[in-house]
Amino acid sequence: MGKYVTKRILLLVPTLLIVCIIVFALMRMIPGSAVDMIVYRLGQAGQQVSAADVEAKLGMDKPAIWQFFTWFIGIFRGDFGTSLFQNESVLSMIGRQLMATLELVILTLILTNVISIPLGLYCAARQDSISDYTIRSISIVLMALPVFWIATLVLIYPALWWQYAPPATYVSFFTDPIQNLKMFFVPSLLGALSQTGHQLRTVRTVTLETLRQDYIRTAWSKGIGEGRIMLRYAFRNAMIPVITVIGGSIPGLIGGSVILENMFNIPGIGAQLVNSLDNRDYPVVQGCVLIFAIIVMVVNLIVDISYKWIDPRVELE
Amino acid sequence: MKDLFKKKPMGALGLILLALFVLVAIFADVLAPYPMVNGNMTVDVIHKLEPGSAEHLLGTDSLGRDVLSYLIYGARTSVILGICCTILSTLISIVIGVTSASIGGKFDLILQRFVDGWQCIPGMLILIILMNIMGNGLVQLILAMAIPAGIGGSRMIRSSAISVKDAGYVKMSGILGGNVWWKMLKHIIPNIMPVILMGLAGSLGGVIMMEASMNFLGYGVDPGTPSWGYMITNQGRSNMYVAPWLALYPGILISIMVFASAMFGDAVRDLMDPRLKGGIGSYNSKKIAKIAARMGKKQTV
Repeated sequence: MGKYVTKRILLLVPTLLIVCIIVFALMRMIPGSAVDMIVYRLGQAGQQVSAADVEAKLGMDKPAIWQFFTWFIGIFRGDFGTSLFQNESVLSMIGRQLMATLELVILTLILTNVISIPLGLYCAARQDSISDYTIRSISIVLMALPVFWIATLVLIYPALWWQYAPPATYVSFFTDPIQNLKMFFVPSLLGALSQTGHQLRTVRTVTLETLRQDYIRTAWSKGIGEGRIMLRYAFRNAMIPVITVIGGSIPGLIGGSVILENMFNIPGIGAQLVNSLDNRDYPVVQGCVLIFAIIVMVVNLIVDISYKWIDPRVELE
Repeated sequence: MKDLFKKKPMGALGLILLALFVLVAIFADVLAPYPMVNGNMTVDVIHKLEPGSAEHLLGTDSLGRDVLSYLIYGARTSVILGICCTILSTLISIVIGVTSASIGGKFDLILQRFVDGWQCIPGMLILIILMNIMGNGLVQLILAMAIPAGIGGSRMIRSSAISVKDAGYVKMSGILGGNVWWKMLKHIIPNIMPVILMGLAGSLGGVIMMEASMNFLGYGVDPGTPSWGYMITNQGRSNMYVAPWLALYPGILISIMVFASAMFGDAVRDLMDPRLKGGIGSYNSKKIAKIAARMGKKQTV
């Protein structure tokens, strides 16, 4: 187990290299006019610079290979470059905003599972009953609703009817947890909705399959109660596909968090990314994308390792 | 097709809804009460932000444009985008997946590592970066959505191409002198067609949803092109207290279209997946009983 984990962690380095190549290549596709744009924006911000200065700052005056490796080696030293507009390193900017994004993603994950797993188990236990049909129909509808549209409606109608709007100023969880949760609850619930529909259906299908196994019949014949059978016998054995779905949902959740952060005024990395793209602050964009990719990589690793924890029979190579 | 209507009523409903959207898109000029003049919607600033009335069934937006007409033209944008994107991304998937599987070896290994790396970056981010680089517009949007989706989808095509590659007839073709390209075009691609079609049917809804979400971040088609997503974000949000219906209608349409394509995609998958299709390999007890009965008859005769 320990050997496998070390091997997987070491394998992250080549993947990281490839992710960096892709991000770097994307950034190199930016047309030359972007430099003029940056010069103009900096001029607006009160800094008189020439195009050559900006190119030097972006490292565009050096060969691409040299640029890439300085950036890549810098990442391992914790140096992601500096923002063009704010006199701050990219890493410290991201560090400031990472908490908000992580909180949003984690809360969304928790809400998704808290809703979808019990309901999915319930649907499997009461297959083809009226409540099963109702819950499944609702879950299909949830899958088809665009998150940002529901978010727009949630911002419009409560404000229209009850003059209610979620708080728009960010407070850290550690200074005022209640105020913080008030702000995060609505966006994370919205983020959870579409994922819930998908996951609920997975939980139901997989549990239905396990419920047909011989060991479940044996458990019934031993007189074990339904609750215990569902949780200890059926769900535990149905968990591997569910974990795969959860792991696979992370890139989508991050994409969704970019929208939700912008909509609900949450100062996270997603909001920063969109802002920096508008400003053409490319070093920051590079850093943000890289951080998201690293989060996805780490989640994939955790998912793979958790297979062994759920089912000790799984052979890790 | 017959199976679709007989066995999968929900899938058939999806297909009908999609066909309806396509028809509306084609005949937009006839259907819209206020058709476009020279590619522009009629603007009538005096009658702006009006609720629904006999003249404007669903009201007007902040420029006095008829909402119903706008939505009808928006269907055209969505349909064009959905069709072009799914076809282009499927083509990209086929090229990457099939070449990777048929050439194999180091080429496959290196290409697959790149696909792995690509999949670590959330698709949304690649999309907004590409849009930022290329600028707004319909063609740009199609390219920006098709490329990431194509690379992501190549995985499934590659794995099914690999399973076909080792079949006897492909090897035989090689022995008879067929080179890699011949084998790919003549044998591998026709035999993985079900997987390709499954991907096509399933990804339409995602494209529509993505386009709408992109609008919120300020990327999408030109503001002059009617688009449901653009309407929600720009008209709906900025006039949300005066005319809340502006955000409501396009969202309902997007949901219906996504729902329809999801239902249709599911049905196509169920009908095409050989494991669910029936035959001895499947767990369809009726069919097994039928085959068993036939075999029994043969033996007695």
